[in-house]
Amino acid sequence: MIGETLTLKVAAASAISPSLRHLRLVAADGSKLPPAAAGAHVQLVLKGAARTHRNAYSLISRAGARDAYEIIVRRVPSSRGGSAFIHEQLKVGDVLEAGWPGNLFAPVRTARRHLMIAGGIGITPFLSYLADFALGGADYALHLCCREDEQHVFDPWLAGKSGVSVHWDADGRRLDIPALLAAQPVGSHLYVCGPAAMNDEVLELAAAAGWPASHVHCEHFGSALSGGEAFRAFLAKSGVEVSVGEDESLLEAIERIGVKAPCLCRGGACGVCATPLLDGEADHRDHYLSAAEREAGRLILPCVSRARSGRLVLDL
Amino acid sequence: MSIAFKPEETFRGDYSYRNSDAAVLRFPFPFPEDRYMYSVNIEPHVRSGPSDVFLRPFDVDEHYIAECRDKAITLERDPGRCQVLPHMMMAQWDTLELLMESLSADYPEQFSLIKEGDDFGSRWTWINRPLGIEQSFVFGNAETLPCEPFEYITRQAQGDFAICDQRDDNLFMDAGMVTSQADWSLEFDVGMSFMEWHGPVPLAHQTGVFERALKYLLMLRLGQPVRRLNWTMSINPRLDTSPESYPEWGPDRASVTPDNAGQKVHLRVELQTLWRLPRSNAILFPIRCYLASLEDLARVPKWGARLHRVLSTLPPQLVEYKGLTRYLPAALEWLAQHDDGRELPVGTEPGITTLGPR
Amino acid sequence: MLHSDIKSRPTYTQLEPDLSGSQHLLIVEGDTVLPGRLDSLAGTFAPVEENLHTWLVGTQAGGLGLGKVWRLPGVADVVDAFACATRGYGIGDRLYVQGTEPFLWSVAKAAAIIGFSAEQIHLHHAGSLRRRVWCTHCHTVTEDVTTSIASCSGCHRHLLVRDHFSRRLGAFMGVMVDAEAPGEVPAVEESFA
Repeated sequence: MIGETLTLKVAAASAISPSLRHLRLVAADGSKLPPAAAGAHVQLVLKGAARTHRNAYSLISRAGARDAYEIIVRRVPSSRGGSAFIHEQLKVGDVLEAGWPGNLFAPVRTARRHLMIAGGIGITPFLSYLADFALGGADYALHLCCREDEQHVFDPWLAGKSGVSVHWDADGRRLDIPALLAAQPVGSHLYVCGPAAMNDEVLELAAAAGWPASHVHCEHFGSALSGGEAFRAFLAKSGVEVSVGEDESLLEAIERIGVKAPCLCRGGACGVCATPLLDGEADHRDHYLSAAEREAGRLILPCVSRARSGRLVLDL
Repeated sequence: MSIAFKPEETFRGDYSYRNSDAAVLRFPFPFPEDRYMYSVNIEPHVRSGPSDVFLRPFDVDEHYIAECRDKAITLERDPGRCQVLPHMMMAQWDTLELLMESLSADYPEQFSLIKEGDDFGSRWTWINRPLGIEQSFVFGNAETLPCEPFEYITRQAQGDFAICDQRDDNLFMDAGMVTSQADWSLEFDVGMSFMEWHGPVPLAHQTGVFERALKYLLMLRLGQPVRRLNWTMSINPRLDTSPESYPEWGPDRASVTPDNAGQKVHLRVELQTLWRLPRSNAILFPIRCYLASLEDLARVPKWGARLHRVLSTLPPQLVEYKGLTRYLPAALEWLAQHDDGRELPVGTEPGITTLGPR
Repeated sequence: MLHSDIKSRPTYTQLEPDLSGSQHLLIVEGDTVLPGRLDSLAGTFAPVEENLHTWLVGTQAGGLGLGKVWRLPGVADVVDAFACATRGYGIGDRLYVQGTEPFLWSVAKAAAIIGFSAEQIHLHHAGSLRRRVWCTHCHTVTEDVTTSIASCSGCHRHLLVRDHFSRRLGAFMGVMVDAEAPGEVPAVEESFA
């Protein structure tokens, strides 16, 4: 079961609204997929014509499902990227690579009550939460804020589930967020996932209502994902230049061209791979260098860090 | 692959535990250099390494049956050695699944798992031949097992297990099966956060080792387990060196002489692995304990000499923290005869394939 | 075995109202109230007086100027009051506690049991440094320990009082000091008066 990538096949695809596409993905070789937790996401490798996109999508399938992963993708209107590819290029039967499920938005197991506020497509992680909560008998409430014409889009996944309210911008149907937040008992946890403006507003209102910060959770993807823009690195001692691709680390590129570099944890924590940086500006993603060392810019940890600008020159 | 189990070995009383030659050669000797200091010595838990103990994600060896029996004795005397906080049920099932799937895949002669489905609600049958167990149960329904799933499966695995709940950018030790620990109390530590339970470890906090380790573990990914080695020493091959039973084993520390040190003093190595659990998103922390006497280790010339050097240069705070103070001089005197001062290769490999005589 | 230098001891704060909270509960251990302290607290908490309840535990002193005041005989009554709360507590509530360490953690634990998070609880240590000690061997708790080595009230072993602290138990770990050489007990110091 130990591995790095999954090869998936699109088993089903359907438009659940003009801008939302539902996909069902299975293992291309028909084997079982690794089970995932509520709130998990998978990063899909989408090979477009111009470039490859690596986008992460929340799994809406219940935790533990092993025959398929299900996602819902919103078409971003001005996108030339992943969502356009999914809506326009991807078809049933297509094969694509994916990372193993990751999780930056797991529900808090010690919560006495789970309060979820979703904005439109932001409901997706909460769909995986609902089965989890039903299984463990947790106390929860899900509030979906959407457009009036979208109010039934998620019905197939909400049918038969109690504790769900749908709201839209009309008299008598709006969600009174301050009142909702003020009324929650001690031990409640708040989860919010939606457009950035909605997230910010809810977080501010929660703070104003006295919610402890450790009880407020907002879905964010950015920081943990690997890869980035491609760049070049010159290994001074070996006299070799290497191109580091978007989806490989600097260390992997160095290893790929046969240069030996020390390493141990491959996660930016142990410092074994710390290498003198002779030129170029590093994008430090490690947990090892001090703030002063990052500032000075004379060391880099190639297992996780990349170039911020220019070409890097390493003393390797 | 058959394993020559030694079911009657004891880890208390008459201490009849012994390592076969093969067991000594595969011992996970932890010192690649002549001096020791803490580091974040975490690496990917791959199916290879300087010792055969790394070949399988969960290692089963000749002591399996005897260890499980000793664990059962400790639990009988002190049920508080297994604790699970109420919110950890999902993690319990994750752990049961991981151990059953791994053991049955890697040791098919000893363990079998027949699943009628993968989801909660499906019927599974588990067969453990060495312990003579055949158990049919419903995955996800604790009432169909003789006890809760975490206790059920960890009673049938060597070593200790802790499960850490991940929340609030922190890890909390919210479950444990702890019968072969080196001197920490589950009853005291259960529910503690990462920094709290590491509180008593000297020196390491100043270098920021724990901050880095915590950040690293919070990002641990499903399907990519990691491992590290930890070490201490014990007098006699005793598994239960808990603070709870310290009055029983503490006096042994004063019974070591330069003559008996070879047989009595044991190097105790913990192979610690860390696994992201799939449904609960918790982290499973198995701590697998390997014991070898100084006499055993000295039959590998490189190890005897290296151990002498590591122990002679250990900082005093570590000597004290690891409980070596009372018997270290006797142990060093015994080891000195195996150290001729020659240069030793870096690395932990034994460098030989058959052992020297006792 | 010597004391170790523990990095995980709780740290305690000054008491002042957390203005982000909506309701405020101040709990004071009577034994730790020095002259003028209640007046000083009344001044500090004036901004939230309308939403302030105060529980004075085991003392007849003070009262006025501290919002709504209740008197409770002892810490067991505080624990019961939380457990039987007819008024549910809210996510915006804040708890402020002044007392000796065992008192602080008895109260904190009772609040945690009904769902309070650590961020909602402010603990201020005052008064004696006396410790609650948990015996690792028989799991008995011995109260009011002021010495570096204490006799366990359960099994009577001589326990070294370590700095390793359990918030859940509200106690310090005590480990038999003379297991390796029975009878060899180091000099006892009055460390936590």
